[in-house]
Amino acid sequence: MSLRKVAVIGGAATPNGKLQTPEGQPIQTVEHEVLAPLVIQSMAVAGLPKESVDAISLALCRPYTLQKYFATFMANYMRMPLKGGIMEILGNGMTGGLAFDQAVTAVASGQADVALALGVNFESAASSADHMMSSMRAVGDIDYHSIFGFSPIAWYAMDMVRYMHDFGVSRAELAGIAVKDRRHAALNPIAQFKKPLSLEDVLAARPIVEPLGLFEVPPRGDGACCLVVCSEDVAKEAGRPYALVRGRGFFHEGAHQINEVPNDMTAFIAAQVASAQAYAAAGIRASDLDLAELYAPCTIVQALVSEAMGLVPRGHAGRAATEGETALGGRLPICTSGGCLSRGHPSYITGLLTIFELWEQLTHRAGERQVVGAALGAGSCELGNYNAALIHVLEAKS
Amino acid sequence: MTLPRVKMAGNRPWPPRITDHSKHFWDALAEGRLITTKGKTSGKLTFPPKPFCPYDWGQEVEWVGLSGKGRLYSQTVIHAVPTAFQHEAPIRNGIVDLDEGLRVAARILGEPALDAPVECVVLDYDDGPLFGFRAIL
Repeated sequence: MSLRKVAVIGGAATPNGKLQTPEGQPIQTVEHEVLAPLVIQSMAVAGLPKESVDAISLALCRPYTLQKYFATFMANYMRMPLKGGIMEILGNGMTGGLAFDQAVTAVASGQADVALALGVNFESAASSADHMMSSMRAVGDIDYHSIFGFSPIAWYAMDMVRYMHDFGVSRAELAGIAVKDRRHAALNPIAQFKKPLSLEDVLAARPIVEPLGLFEVPPRGDGACCLVVCSEDVAKEAGRPYALVRGRGFFHEGAHQINEVPNDMTAFIAAQVASAQAYAAAGIRASDLDLAELYAPCTIVQALVSEAMGLVPRGHAGRAATEGETALGGRLPICTSGGCLSRGHPSYITGLLTIFELWEQLTHRAGERQVVGAALGAGSCELGNYNAALIHVLEAKS
Repeated sequence: MTLPRVKMAGNRPWPPRITDHSKHFWDALAEGRLITTKGKTSGKLTFPPKPFCPYDWGQEVEWVGLSGKGRLYSQTVIHAVPTAFQHEAPIRNGIVDLDEGLRVAARILGEPALDAPVECVVLDYDDGPLFGFRAIL
């Protein structure tokens, strides 16, 4: 079966932040009333009729979303008969990325000409400590890891401790990533945090998981996003600028948080393998990229995945951010959206927000944060401690 | 050789589930021994212990004792902890590479430096044991 070329031709996202209303509040904000306008808006941007949607891949909602089987609920709510397929997708941090990947697969295989990859992540009304009672069970062996009280980002903190030890890098160098990302977010209408953030602010913040403080770890928040994915033929006919999916790579190292065989934990093997696959499929090298939008919930994660993907040399990601090499206007801007730290990290849809940013950049809609002449961009998502990585390379087409 | 013991306050915040298989591990730990399984055909150790060998899927495994000695690979102090652990916060947890070539995650006692030699200790909670590591003095 030959695969068809696939385009991203539309997108819409709501500003990230606190959308979920606490239980018992007389007036509630509900997920479908947030998501439906994004579906309508993204299809309008795509210039495609409502009837053209053949498939829906929905990033699974958080357990706090009361409406179950939300995908078919949405298909009814918006009167969308579907001949291609409908499903809800879970892959922990990779959830949004897999929802996009599935929409691409549906179109590439010919099951659908137009597919929506969408999701709404509501969680902010649950306290962080209570939320972690659930999330700790997703990021560890519940009988041999969770028993000690590891929080999800504790694994990243241990990456950071080891990385600082192995490469002689300081916390302050890595904190430059948070400062850079906040500058990017100030230019992004959907960013959760836009107020200027200094290196001193980052270093003085209260500790969350040492050595990571409040501004080096992701905020909690809600968000929603819809992407319109279609065959390149449909995109050409629609006559709008689009982003072509040029390459895709995936790898899971067969380990859950830590490898039982001692290895170099901060090498992020999955991101190395998946990015090599994606670059090969696209026929490019890392140095050909104009920007990268990475799933990186902490400063250290952005450093490690940038290095694993060959965007900066190992041990240099902090300095590259501080010196502007990976900032807007630099050699290779990373996380132009503001990333998980400042754009926001409604984690089940973060993978969708990654593609949304790439689509905005590659169709030159990114306004003040536009990467001039952006032609090739890469996006990543992951699960666990980057035990798995899914990487897409997209190209600007007009 | 039995592992040193450290008395902990109260019950384990999030106790492990015990199965017919894992009971061997937890009962041995309560007696002061750190053990795991080894595949009979592959000859490979695995951790956590499993009723089969993950390397060759062989169905026959044997229980073997571990030295409990290793080196600290990494660690962190967790200030923002899940609800059940709030009375223990802040918590120092880490990753230890055992001399037998296995990597495990555990509670860390004291403040050992990275790569420092560490030894396993039984953490005696009121309702049962967990395991931790501390610097070898």
